[in-house]
Amino acid sequence: MGEIKKACSLFSYGTPYIRGEMSLEACMRAAALIGCEGFEVVAAQMISSYPYVTDEVAGEFARYSEKYGIKPVCYAANMDRGLRRDRDLTEDEMLARAVNDIKSAHRLGCKVVRQQYLLSPKTMLHLRPYAEEYGIKVGIEIHNPETPSTPAIMAYREAFDKCGSEYLGFVVDFGCFSTKPNKPYWDRAFANGAQPELLEMLEQMRYDDVPQQEAMERLIKAGANDAVLGAVAGTYGFVQFRREWDVEGLKSIIPQCLEFHAKCHYVSEDLHEASIPYEEVLPVIADSDFNGYAVIEYEDEGGYDSVEMTRRCAAMIDKILATIKK
Amino acid sequence: MAFAMKFNMIDVVVSDSLENVYVDGKRIGYQFDIRLNYYRGHFLSVIEEFEVTVDGEKVDQSSIRFRLNGKEFGICELESCYNEFWRITDPATIIVHESGGLPEGEHTVEVKLIFRSPYMAIGPNKYMPVDSSGSKTLKVKF
Repeated sequence: MGEIKKACSLFSYGTPYIRGEMSLEACMRAAALIGCEGFEVVAAQMISSYPYVTDEVAGEFARYSEKYGIKPVCYAANMDRGLRRDRDLTEDEMLARAVNDIKSAHRLGCKVVRQQYLLSPKTMLHLRPYAEEYGIKVGIEIHNPETPSTPAIMAYREAFDKCGSEYLGFVVDFGCFSTKPNKPYWDRAFANGAQPELLEMLEQMRYDDVPQQEAMERLIKAGANDAVLGAVAGTYGFVQFRREWDVEGLKSIIPQCLEFHAKCHYVSEDLHEASIPYEEVLPVIADSDFNGYAVIEYEDEGGYDSVEMTRRCAAMIDKILATIKK
Repeated sequence: MAFAMKFNMIDVVVSDSLENVYVDGKRIGYQFDIRLNYYRGHFLSVIEEFEVTVDGEKVDQSSIRFRLNGKEFGICELESCYNEFWRITDPATIIVHESGGLPEGEHTVEVKLIFRSPYMAIGPNKYMPVDSSGSKTLKVKF
């Protein structure tokens, strides 16, 4: 049996950080206070010398890490393929950027780079020798609307299986196991005057796998206002949900998972995530040989208090894991 | 313009930042600070549209300068600033060359800033547009 340990993406405190209400030190302190052993940093958000890590920046992270007893775990990269207006970056150019991400992660003392899917399976294989040289594992983020079983992800799984290196893998974001509408998106639609019966209709169509275009047409026919129509893109995109979450996909991908992203958009006071069935997902992982981090990521879509939501997410994970241990 | 994402992190036009600019004792224009309304920083090359309107009048593109990281660029040069990173916590200073600067009192500064989010592909060479526009009425410092 493995062990799930808690870490925290400092991205969870992104809103107060950007507003100048929390410093980098305050973010690391808050993460340590809720029992997280490690932290993830979204490089383009909180590394002031991005895309490089200077001695000064590495020293700053190391100081807070020591002071609050929280370890560097993951360097979250962005693959900016659209950096140029005239053309997409080539595979070679993307490889060059990904090599830099590995070096930056290494300087910070992270063991994992969370990389984005615009880096192709083939280029991930070219990245492998650098990953091994630096002792950094590189995981492709699996984010809603992808799941462990969608074609784009299957292409990586096949490539990684063939290559057999333990340095290439995945970071699965629990958001891809959503089974209910995303609360902040739905709340926003209501606040903008969405007709409740038509939001329900949208929810039902999503459950029934009605294609997006057809759902849109049916809603327009039914007289949906802009608030309802505005919720369609998310419902079929980054916050989509299904009646059955991809439990088999999760089980089969666990051996290739470097860590998990414990996503939350809203955790209630009695410790339930509004759309993601944590009570079903965590036991599957706890029951496997996975030994590593669930990295909490509060994504601020609803304007809730970042510190409180992140705290609740940590408490929810603790509560569920405690039940399993019994 | 079609759909663009919009965030509500910070005010794009920074409060209290409007001031006239002097060179050799002459008022040659004015400047103010702006921030990026997003959750991460970006390279300047992702900026697709940048316009400034002051008191309802659009400023000529060629008289605008964009100052960041101790460097200064014309708007037409931003497209090739692939290595100039705009940190999410840092203000950029916008300088408008206009002899005489702004008259005393309050002025409404509007900034139109559309950028593509370069990791959110919506097709080959097509990326999610993000609207980081903003406006504010500010008192000019003399």
